[in-house]
Amino acid sequence: MTPEPIWLTIARKEFADALRSRMMWGIVAIIAVMTSLSAGISLLVPGADGGPEMAIGGASQFAGILVPIMALIAAYLAIAGERESGSLKVILGLPPSRGELLFGKFLGRSGVVAIGLTLGFVVSGVATAALYGGLPVSAFAGTTALTVLLGVAFVGIAIGISAVTSTRSRAMTLAITAYLGLTLLWDLAPNAVHLLVTGEMPGQEVPAWFLLLQGFSPTGAYNALVQRQLLGAGTAVEARLGGPAPAYLDPAVFLGILVAWAVVPLAVGYLRFRRADLS
Amino acid sequence: MDYVRPTAGTATVLGFDAQQETRAIHERVGILPDGYGLYDRLSGRKHLEYAISLKRASDDVDDLLDRVGLDKTAAERVVGGYSKGMMQRLALAIALVGDPELLILDEPSSGLDPNGVRLVREIARDHADRGKTVFFSSHILSQVESVCDRVGILNRGQLVAVDSIDGLRDALGTGSTVTLTVDAVPDSLTLAEINGVSEVAVDDRTIRVRVDEATAKVDVIDQVRSDGAAVLDVTIEESSLEDLFSAYTGDAPRQGDAPEGER
Repeated sequence: MTPEPIWLTIARKEFADALRSRMMWGIVAIIAVMTSLSAGISLLVPGADGGPEMAIGGASQFAGILVPIMALIAAYLAIAGERESGSLKVILGLPPSRGELLFGKFLGRSGVVAIGLTLGFVVSGVATAALYGGLPVSAFAGTTALTVLLGVAFVGIAIGISAVTSTRSRAMTLAITAYLGLTLLWDLAPNAVHLLVTGEMPGQEVPAWFLLLQGFSPTGAYNALVQRQLLGAGTAVEARLGGPAPAYLDPAVFLGILVAWAVVPLAVGYLRFRRADLS
Repeated sequence: MDYVRPTAGTATVLGFDAQQETRAIHERVGILPDGYGLYDRLSGRKHLEYAISLKRASDDVDDLLDRVGLDKTAAERVVGGYSKGMMQRLALAIALVGDPELLILDEPSSGLDPNGVRLVREIARDHADRGKTVFFSSHILSQVESVCDRVGILNRGQLVAVDSIDGLRDALGTGSTVTLTVDAVPDSLTLAEINGVSEVAVDDRTIRVRVDEATAKVDVIDQVRSDGAAVLDVTIEESSLEDLFSAYTGDAPRQGDAPEGER
């Protein structure tokens, strides 16, 4: 029997640790409760013609805000915490290389976030089905998968942050900055650019580049993808543009952006971490 | 151990390049690092199981616990509740996983009570007796002296000496000091003429003689008696590693100097 690769051993241990610390169950509980609530909200608004698609849309809006925080919290200390406590010296005194450690940590924490989100969404799916008497399964499954991808992207960002910082407090500062920058500030950026370019705030119809800019952040890409998933390809975008959508607004582009947000910070983190002095 | 990246130059450990072949090195080396940490939430046993799986070793956890004197009930508890001494024992057990060819102990006695210090010494000896190498780094010179076969002295990043302690003594001529208590110091003391005597000091009824050669000690005693004094007491002090250290690094050792030993 060939032994399992060393990064898998590390990923397993990370996963087991997260189960022991109940981090994963925290994610399940928060996602289950919040998305169920937001799915139910449109029932309470009088006159809103809410179907289960609307409910899933509402749940994904919430997830777009919550998932980045949870993924960042789940992973921002993965390396920096061990570096500060000194356990990194013990691990790297054993056979694992720095790359294997980083990859194993990314995999393990991603697994925790992915399974936590999936279980949480299953609960809210059941709640939605009960409230609306039905559930569009494929749209729901697609939204769950996209939410998992968003979570993994932020785990990648968090691990990247963790790899370039040597103390817990610096990692926390960077994680908060990343959250504010990528979710809250980024929403303002397209508006500001629009104002600069056209001299007025964006109205009902917007230029195509505006939507691309919006979708360039992980949360923006996620929202764009979920929207298309729920409302059908193209129609929502064309309504927004008042015409046909250019090729660069294809869902594949946003999918690529989301994946890049997982991979690029991880790669940058690795390059820095590989050359770091540990003492 | 690849904790620090070089600016230039090369180094080898056990014949492997320290930059290019780190995996091969880490598979054959066990290290107790200085300033390490452990996982507060994991039990001692889980630590060892993790280390064994990462090293692809087949050690028995209970054997390792035995070797470092950590009892089995303590091993089931999480490390967050361990004392410094227990953590050190566990870290030592992690270093022993896979019966490494080279065991590196960096300041292994910090935080240990005298029993723990003796344990570290025993483990180092035991490992050396198995035909393995132990690299022992410490600022506590008496420990280095009692454990190490060969001693290296680092001064400001430069290796200034490597030899056995006897060899270092011989090389420096910081031999031993013979102290004689006599009834009366004879007027015609002719000790300085003896071959191997480097320094003679007289204080009241004690004569202190530094000799560089072992055979000179007896000559000194004989000479004092033939000069007409009765010898009441004799003590002989070998120069300690501390003296040797001072001699090699200048009288005021600077911060960051550490003797390193090898067995």
